[in-house]
Amino acid sequence: MNMFSRFTLPVVALSLAFGTLAVANPTTVKIGNIEPMSGPSATLGKQGKAAREMAVEEINAAGGVKSLGGAKLELIYADSESKPEKGVAEAERLINTEKVNVLTGCWNSAVTYPTTAVAERYGIPFVVPVSVSDKITDQGFKNVFRIAAKDSWWTKDQFTFLKDIQTEFGTKVETLAFVYENGDWGKGFATQWKKLAEEAGYKVVMDEPYPSTTTDLSPVVQKIKRANPDVLMLVSNAADAILLTNTIAEYKVKVKAIVASGGGHADPSFMKAVGKNAQYLFDIVEWETDVNKPGAKEANDKYKAKNGENLTGEAVDAYLAMYVIKDALERSASLEPAKIREALAATNLTNGPGMIVGYDAVKFDATGQNENASPVIVQVNDIGKGLERITIWPKNARRAGYTPVFPMPSK
Amino acid sequence: MNHQHFNKVMIVGLLVAAFALPLVVRSATYMHILVLLLFYAYLTTSWNIVGGFAGVLPLGHAAFVGIGAYTSTILSLQYGVSPWLGMLVGGVLATIAGVIIGLPTLKMRGAYFALATIAFAEGFRVMVENIDYIGPLKLNGPRGLQIPPLETGLTSFMFATKEPYYYIILVMLLAVMLLTYIISRSKLGYYLIAGGEEPEAAMALGVNVARARLIAMAVSSFLTALAGTFYAQFSLYIHPKSIISLDMSFEIAFIALIGGRGSIIGPLLGAMLLRPVSDFCRIYFGDTLPGMHLIIFGLVLIFVMYYQPRGLQEPLSRMYQRLFTRKTLATTGR
Amino acid sequence: MLYIIEDMINGVLMGSIYGLTAMGLTIIFGVLKVINFAHGSLLMVGMYATYWAITLTGVHPYLALAMVIPAMFIFGYYLQAIVIKPIFIAEKNVREPITVIIVTTGIWYILDNLALLVFGPQYRSLADNPLKGKMLEVGGMFVSQPKLFGFITAIITASTIHWFLQKTVMGRAIRATSMDREAASLMGINQYRIYNVAFGIGAATTGIAAVTLLPFYNVFPTVGVLFDIKCFIIVVLGGLGSISGALLGGIIIGLIESVGPQFMTATWTEAIVYGLFLLVLFVKPSGLFGQKHDW
Repeated sequence: MNMFSRFTLPVVALSLAFGTLAVANPTTVKIGNIEPMSGPSATLGKQGKAAREMAVEEINAAGGVKSLGGAKLELIYADSESKPEKGVAEAERLINTEKVNVLTGCWNSAVTYPTTAVAERYGIPFVVPVSVSDKITDQGFKNVFRIAAKDSWWTKDQFTFLKDIQTEFGTKVETLAFVYENGDWGKGFATQWKKLAEEAGYKVVMDEPYPSTTTDLSPVVQKIKRANPDVLMLVSNAADAILLTNTIAEYKVKVKAIVASGGGHADPSFMKAVGKNAQYLFDIVEWETDVNKPGAKEANDKYKAKNGENLTGEAVDAYLAMYVIKDALERSASLEPAKIREALAATNLTNGPGMIVGYDAVKFDATGQNENASPVIVQVNDIGKGLERITIWPKNARRAGYTPVFPMPSK
Repeated sequence: MNHQHFNKVMIVGLLVAAFALPLVVRSATYMHILVLLLFYAYLTTSWNIVGGFAGVLPLGHAAFVGIGAYTSTILSLQYGVSPWLGMLVGGVLATIAGVIIGLPTLKMRGAYFALATIAFAEGFRVMVENIDYIGPLKLNGPRGLQIPPLETGLTSFMFATKEPYYYIILVMLLAVMLLTYIISRSKLGYYLIAGGEEPEAAMALGVNVARARLIAMAVSSFLTALAGTFYAQFSLYIHPKSIISLDMSFEIAFIALIGGRGSIIGPLLGAMLLRPVSDFCRIYFGDTLPGMHLIIFGLVLIFVMYYQPRGLQEPLSRMYQRLFTRKTLATTGR
Repeated sequence: MLYIIEDMINGVLMGSIYGLTAMGLTIIFGVLKVINFAHGSLLMVGMYATYWAITLTGVHPYLALAMVIPAMFIFGYYLQAIVIKPIFIAEKNVREPITVIIVTTGIWYILDNLALLVFGPQYRSLADNPLKGKMLEVGGMFVSQPKLFGFITAIITASTIHWFLQKTVMGRAIRATSMDREAASLMGINQYRIYNVAFGIGAATTGIAAVTLLPFYNVFPTVGVLFDIKCFIIVVLGGLGSISGALLGGIIIGLIESVGPQFMTATWTEAIVYGLFLLVLFVKPSGLFGQKHDW
């Protein structure tokens, strides 16, 4: 009897627990989302979740997927804790147990990378809103579609911007310093930077990874000060972006420009935490609130009312991802993964509520990379309404009436 | 006779059940969870040889997992060496590392030893994260190594389904449990336990405690590294932050302490409790209450320690004993 | 040369703050003989307490000490009395009960994730405070004022604890218990009460560290993890249980972290710290300043 209960108890508990989840509503499309909901990148998971929810509420309120008889989208979340092995296990579960039709995620490139391999094995379409590492779409996978630009594009744009701004203001930049978090993301950027700097003939005076778990960045800042570069280029997560920006201001490091790479510098808590120290900073992002696109302001207001923060590039990509999936479902008119995959591959989304991004259409190339994805460069400045992020590059996207500040005046 | 007979029947029955499990569990999700459960049971059983019997608390075994995973992966990616061979090379390297770290540390008192092993594992992770290449060997620093899906099969240690991984780790687990059993009944096991309980008394009796511990450490690190190769081949992606993580080292020790340190069945019992708790809590609370799963995990740790500071193994074996005596009574009564 | 001096000053200042964060850990270890794995979480709790105390009342950061010290003492006292004590009673006969490590790790998971549930994952830092970003310029060298305050606070805290342990009745009782629990109990000292008090003092000290950190640092649910391993290394380096050892151990780490990056990339200084740690363990396992029964 004892023996019996020892074994049956967990089995019964499991089947009870799973029974409730396994009941599938035939008129829903299940979208599995793997995001860092706890652990060090939890802010990103939170933004991604809020943005997805907003999109799905809108889609469902507007009648769901019409070609599937008004099928509603259902979001299922899984927590990766920013750990690859958890992401992989969750992908297995979402595919096999939850029977999701589409997967999205995972923000951390290190998680997205092995997780997309799981989706590929089962032939489940995987839409990656943001995870910028090149290798994610360079694996030759058929089921991976990325909405954000990849890191070689981000870095290329940073360097093009650097060239353009020199021409525009007639100030020459000769030396660069690279300071980045010692992870997949930072290393990926730095590798590209080194190549680009060599091609463009800049002198790299400092090339410094720092541990992303660091507690004191003043030694690194001292090093920047002594290397005395014209331009400082950064890749940081939120905690270190805050620390770095404050310390740079404290040590009165004088450079002509600081060019950051989104992530921590684009985190909503960043501006609150550093305040004026962020002034004149250039940051590259996927999207900014002042983008000249109908619907963008409304979407941002709605999001802000709900979450108390502006939409970020990461959130917008997640928001757009839901509309891309909805669009593909309309065209596939089927829940068969292969059909959805075909429809995603043929995506040419040009309008609709999701298209609040700066470019004209979402279109995937043969590797699954959104070929039109193009980041913009913003400058943090105060033009009378407190500090805000102002789009300045490419020039045709620049906010009307704003002149960027370059080189950075000494504060 | 009856007792032994019944024990044998039980063991055979459980073995058959373990081998037949994949026939019942058809879902890849559960197979994945089961494979990881056995993987942790294996790791903990290997850990138990030094952490359980020798009475010290190593908190850095993830370093050996990392050595195993990196060795076999680099050898197979760059030199086409079969992961099975790489597994053994990794084991040997880990043994050397285990002895080097064990020589000075095994003499230390509990807390010092625990902290020394943490520092060793963390230091090792930092090294791996900082090194892109050692000579011709590509470690790829913090970006980790990806194993491209090649042809599947036993020689390439790569399979399309979960079942082969299940059987491999099951056989590995059974082998290491058998080895633990043999060690526990050998002179070495006796020395270890004596040294773990009363080091001074054991030394007075002429037991070379340090030597026994060092052998245990060597065996343990060798076995742990084998699991590293398994993990690399199972997940096809290794990355210093996840494979040489403190989280993994801690989880191994937790499983041992929750299950029952120094017992043969303890690690398996611990894994059977803790792995599902952490997996299912993450599944249920992951989206609605972020972090809740770790709160529950923490509560389980605390409560098991309150009520069973010697681990689950003790009450369960008592229960088994009672059940078993009643059973024999019943049979003799008939 | 000036550069090196500047880096060394920063190293000493930052290092003393590291030492202060580790001091609570060493106090708790000295008496209870267990590593408190929830130490980083205590720091996190202290930082949130400081953050709210300053944000809600708008006082000078260091005035928050008046609120944070008693709050953290009570928190630590009852954490030990309610959560940790039962396991000590269950393991009466073990000198270094390993199961307590598991319990403290459980506390770590619970506290960090409760903070995530309650405060959310955001990074918070003090809006504007009289210390934020203030630098002293001495002969072309920059010295951070909040760190200087931290340094002074660390010295004062260490001396106060030292005095308390040497000169007060409670301090002597704590020392007696840390040296020999059985003998102390025989002398009529209630060892569990001593544990509670020691844990309370450890938590309060960690609260002081939190106050010194907040003017230039930010707080988020997993902030403790960043300091955890550093604290472990510092206390072993200095000698487990030694107050002055913790301070000096912290300064050594601070110096390596501060001077090291001028000769190599910052990521390698981490490796040097671990290397030094292992070296010290091999050469002098009791730590640089530890004795069998310190204090």
